Amino acid sequence: MNLLAPQAALAAGVLGALGLGLARRPSALGARLLALAAPIAALWLLRSEVPGVFGPLVGVDLKGLCWQLVIFAGALPLAFLSSGDDVEAALFLGSVLGMSLLAAAGNLIMLFVGLEFMSLPAYLLVARAGEGSPRLRLEAAVKYFFAGALGGALFLLGLALYYADTRGFGPAMGPLGLQGQAGAALMAAGALFKIGAVPLHWWLPDVYSAAAPEVAGFLATSMKAAAVLFLMRVVSLAPDAVFIRALPGVGALTALVGAFFALRQQRLQRLLAYLSLSHAGLLVIGVGAWAVLGRAQAAAASLLFYLAADALMSNGSFAFLKASGAATRADLRGYAAGAPGVAAAFAVLLFALAGIPPTGGFVAELLIFWQAVHAQLAVPIVLGAVAALVSLGYCLSLLRDLYFEEPGAALAAPQGCAASGARIVVLVCAIGTMALVFAPLFLRGLAGSVWR
Amino acid sequence: MSALALFALAVNFVAVLGLTGLFANAGKLFGPKSVRVGDADLPYETGLPPLSPAHERMTVLYHRFAVLFVVFDVDLAFLLPWALNKPALTAGAMAAITGFTFVVLFMLAYFWRKGALECR
Repeated sequence: MNLLAPQAALAAGVLGALGLGLARRPSALGARLLALAAPIAALWLLRSEVPGVFGPLVGVDLKGLCWQLVIFAGALPLAFLSSGDDVEAALFLGSVLGMSLLAAAGNLIMLFVGLEFMSLPAYLLVARAGEGSPRLRLEAAVKYFFAGALGGALFLLGLALYYADTRGFGPAMGPLGLQGQAGAALMAAGALFKIGAVPLHWWLPDVYSAAAPEVAGFLATSMKAAAVLFLMRVVSLAPDAVFIRALPGVGALTALVGAFFALRQQRLQRLLAYLSLSHAGLLVIGVGAWAVLGRAQAAAASLLFYLAADALMSNGSFAFLKASGAATRADLRGYAAGAPGVAAAFAVLLFALAGIPPTGGFVAELLIFWQAVHAQLAVPIVLGAVAALVSLGYCLSLLRDLYFEEPGAALAAPQGCAASGARIVVLVCAIGTMALVFAPLFLRGLAGSVWR
Repeated sequence: MSALALFALAVNFVAVLGLTGLFANAGKLFGPKSVRVGDADLPYETGLPPLSPAHERMTVLYHRFAVLFVVFDVDLAFLLPWALNKPALTAGAMAAITGFTFVVLFMLAYFWRKGALECR
């Protein structure tokens, strides 16, 4: 019985982490091992999953399996950098479990269960994980909670309207009526809330910049991947829904807002948050192109590749903040003189984030734009390209700060296990980003051999 | 999406607004409106004068009990459809529900151990 084996592994991890908490002095090593072992086991067990429909609730398809691959892989850096707190480990694994349940959902009810399951632990994780004063984190977590609750409520309202029209929780059989159209649009709004698309993005910069860097990396990669899959599932319900025509425009607007607001940020984590918002915009354009192209597999594959590249770029750049201890752009001045290796890795990640050629980030952006060209989305492409140009500007200015500025006040580099772990994550992510350039050559063979 | 569907949606909208407004204000509309004088209008608890205002702020600790109660209540409600389906039960179903019950009991033990059931 291989059905839902990855989910079972993650659930066992959650229970194990809580079980550690029953001890008088919970073992930090045990919590770390569990946080790392459960996602790896889930990745391993994913191989044995077979696509198919199992009962009314569970539907495993190739898209869900591929997305779980990215979700688990994107969660590994946070697992690797986990603090050894048993509750944090349980929250982290619970959130990943919710994402994989969402990926294996067979109908809308299960999709909602997955959505809530992945969101609730994430709110607590934002509040709990990290060092220093929790005041800002608490504020961000409350903001995140209310934004998420609003998104969930929109989705539920849409679900009710959709059910009233189609009498089902699956794909619509015929053309949608007025209620069904409104329901699909509301459900999509719930998904766009989770992605952080403009104008539903107001929570995102605050949450990403107040959370611990590694948690922000987790939210920007695994959570974003799950949210994009969520939006794609809603699009699949009713391919003729009216809201789909708005997706490329919303995506272009998000990309522009993210890129322009990042220009003025002095705090690095907030800058990366807006950059992540800009990437989310490109993803929404990609989903729009995928819908216009009749849900073509090639378009879905380009989204998957973008998310895989993002898992490396975003996790790596957020981990750099932890590794270097740099909080503002002023802290970066002349950093390369002190730590050439980490600085070079961060430079590679910046190149990738800006989409400059010899990196995976460039290939990923090219694939999305390529699909958008196929779908003949001229205006969103131009706006997305403008956003990419603008982000080029500050990514390059960060590089100038790193290499060509005189060091200001000496930055106290964080010592200890966590900082060296973060350094390893930065290096691995930078190497992976470079390696992804060659990935399109092998992907066809890989996809064929893993799930046959 | 015909005119009839639009009309139905409008009727639905008006009915929802009207009914919720009615329920919220039914007391004012249909309740007794006798004007009482003197001590008759004073609030009371079992014949005694009230000790404190009715709209008192409660400690947030009660909220924890409420949430825990709802969680375990819903969990146990899941046992009901299982029990009602007795003729169709297989060994696999038995194992599944045993596992589920174990998880619920484990969570109870967890909250107990962490002191969440103590009123502090």
